[in-house]
Amino acid sequence: MTVALTSSNIKADAPSPGAPDGARQQRLRTSFDVLRLPLLGRFLRWRYSRMLLQSCVLLLSLVMIGHAFWGPQLAPKNLAALLTWVHFRGLVVIVILLAGNLFCMACPFMLPREIARRIHAPRWDWPQKLRNKWPAIILFAMVLFAYELFDLFSDPWWTGALIVAYFALAAITDVLFRRASFCKYVCPVGQFNFVCSTMSPLEVAVRDRDVCGNCATKDCIRGVHQEATSSKDAFTKGALPLVQRGCELDLFQPRKRGNLDCTFCLDCVYACPHDNVGILTRLPAEELAYEGTRSGIGTPERRFDFTALTIVFAFGALLNAFAMISPVYAAERWIADVTGLRTEWPILAAIFALALVIEPALLLGAAASLTRFFSRSDTPLLSIINRYIRSLIPIGFGVWLAHYGFHFFTGLLTVIPVAQNAAKSTGTAWLGQPQWQLGGLPETVVYPLELGFMSLGLIGSWMIAWSIASQRSSNRIALRFAPWAALHLLLYVSAVWIMNQPMDMRGTFLGG
Amino acid sequence: MENDSMRTDGVAKRLPTFPWRTEFVSDLARRSVFLASVGLLALMTNGCSSDQAQTVPVNVDLTFEPAEPMVGDSKVDLRLTDPSGNPIENAAVTLEGNMNHAGMKPSFSELSEQDPGHYSGTLEFTMGGDWFVLVDVEMPDGTTAQQQIDVPGVKVP
Repeated sequence: MTVALTSSNIKADAPSPGAPDGARQQRLRTSFDVLRLPLLGRFLRWRYSRMLLQSCVLLLSLVMIGHAFWGPQLAPKNLAALLTWVHFRGLVVIVILLAGNLFCMACPFMLPREIARRIHAPRWDWPQKLRNKWPAIILFAMVLFAYELFDLFSDPWWTGALIVAYFALAAITDVLFRRASFCKYVCPVGQFNFVCSTMSPLEVAVRDRDVCGNCATKDCIRGVHQEATSSKDAFTKGALPLVQRGCELDLFQPRKRGNLDCTFCLDCVYACPHDNVGILTRLPAEELAYEGTRSGIGTPERRFDFTALTIVFAFGALLNAFAMISPVYAAERWIADVTGLRTEWPILAAIFALALVIEPALLLGAAASLTRFFSRSDTPLLSIINRYIRSLIPIGFGVWLAHYGFHFFTGLLTVIPVAQNAAKSTGTAWLGQPQWQLGGLPETVVYPLELGFMSLGLIGSWMIAWSIASQRSSNRIALRFAPWAALHLLLYVSAVWIMNQPMDMRGTFLGG
Repeated sequence: MENDSMRTDGVAKRLPTFPWRTEFVSDLARRSVFLASVGLLALMTNGCSSDQAQTVPVNVDLTFEPAEPMVGDSKVDLRLTDPSGNPIENAAVTLEGNMNHAGMKPSFSELSEQDPGHYSGTLEFTMGGDWFVLVDVEMPDGTTAQQQIDVPGVKVP
């Protein structure tokens, strides 16, 4: 099964004996390279392409912020609410599914950060104790919580405030701390994208490992410094001004594995003096079958913060969808009746604790216990959970795709009348009269897509779990696999049940 | 191994991704920060008090049948009066139903006058959840008025 998860065009590290050029062939990656495409490849290799993309998204963000604060405070007629909660979220997951982490590539938060860094150069390194995913996990959970508590989906002003807060947080973090501290340790959207992009068909990777083996400068991680003009300069080369950054997320290309922590910034592409880094195709989810050390990350299977991130990602997908159907209001009402509470936040906090802590602990603990029992081993349960947790990523991604895809496809064309209405508010209808009859795909068409996304996720999770189960021993693979397959099936059935419930998007608590 | 945690000094001192002269960029950056600060201040002062609601010279009494609307067509009765309580006749009344969530196509309905100041028709609620209805009124003299009425918790049958 592990073989099935390794794409045929990616050669293994080990040389094949007997073949004269075997070792060389094994280290060459022969998959399709987007950077070799005539127009797109040339554009992406242009070192200001990212800035151009960021500028476009920044401009759009400014329009959204303006409309959030000064436009109509009705979510269906406001560009900030519509683009943030319908189009942006849908596009992010669909683009990641079809290509890669292109949102991080065009991230609008980075341009103000760069300008701020011109004024105040960062002087500190990110604190050692916070060099993990916990700050971002907490923010990720807080955003999910705030989304439900404050009904951000129906509030343009607070949506605009959230966007402004993002810009401020990114600028402040990176003005104070060196390198890409915000992206790597703080940004909840970034972590979501990193986890999703393990399912992408594209990866920034080395073309020929032999070239890296012979490289003396390692510019892809160090960056390219200004040429020395004197012997003194040559001696202190590290202190010379940087003319091209290396990877600010500490991903050393020859040892980089997969898309985790990769923002597709392409700094490594521009820095490599040998033009040896490309955007290469691969089998989606392939990296989830890999167990071991990754550059800039360490060993995810030994990091509980990665486990926690995956739990929030996978169970948060179900929770976020569950919060949009009637039973959640019944659950809130029941808790309110039992406890006598009449304020929403403690009730919502209880539901979040149940969905993101208690339920995962019980389910993952049960699956790990059964795996340990069938393995006849005394491995700590947490170690087993840390190893198998990545098998939840495909089903989690499938649920996010189904949920965000539903809003995106059913509301696809609503951006046209809302933009026309916004243009009309400037005084003249220069985009024409609002065409309010435009909607999107009918639910009957979108529902099979949702089922397809979730079913592919289930199959992907089963493949990864089988791969993990077969990595350390060839005995009792099916028995070790079975508890996790059952867990994936349970999540899948829950998700299908949720998606089959009538949508009931309420912002009112106990008010019905 | 030797390069995995390699640091890069001087990153913050010079960011080469900007093709322009440093002095110009610094000046531009300072101006941008100033403008951003002014903008944020404006947001805090003006944005907070932004109020889209209009003062309308009409009273609108909107009722649905069933009284708690459900997904599907609902019968709508609307009584339109002026501030003195006199019925407003011969007005053109249209309803626009929207969900409070973005990305949903609105429902429209034109009401017809049954009695003086009494208008009725149907409005389709396409999904369960919180809705609001925008009542647009065009008076016989050509003046217009709009009122927003919340319709929370539309039930799913």
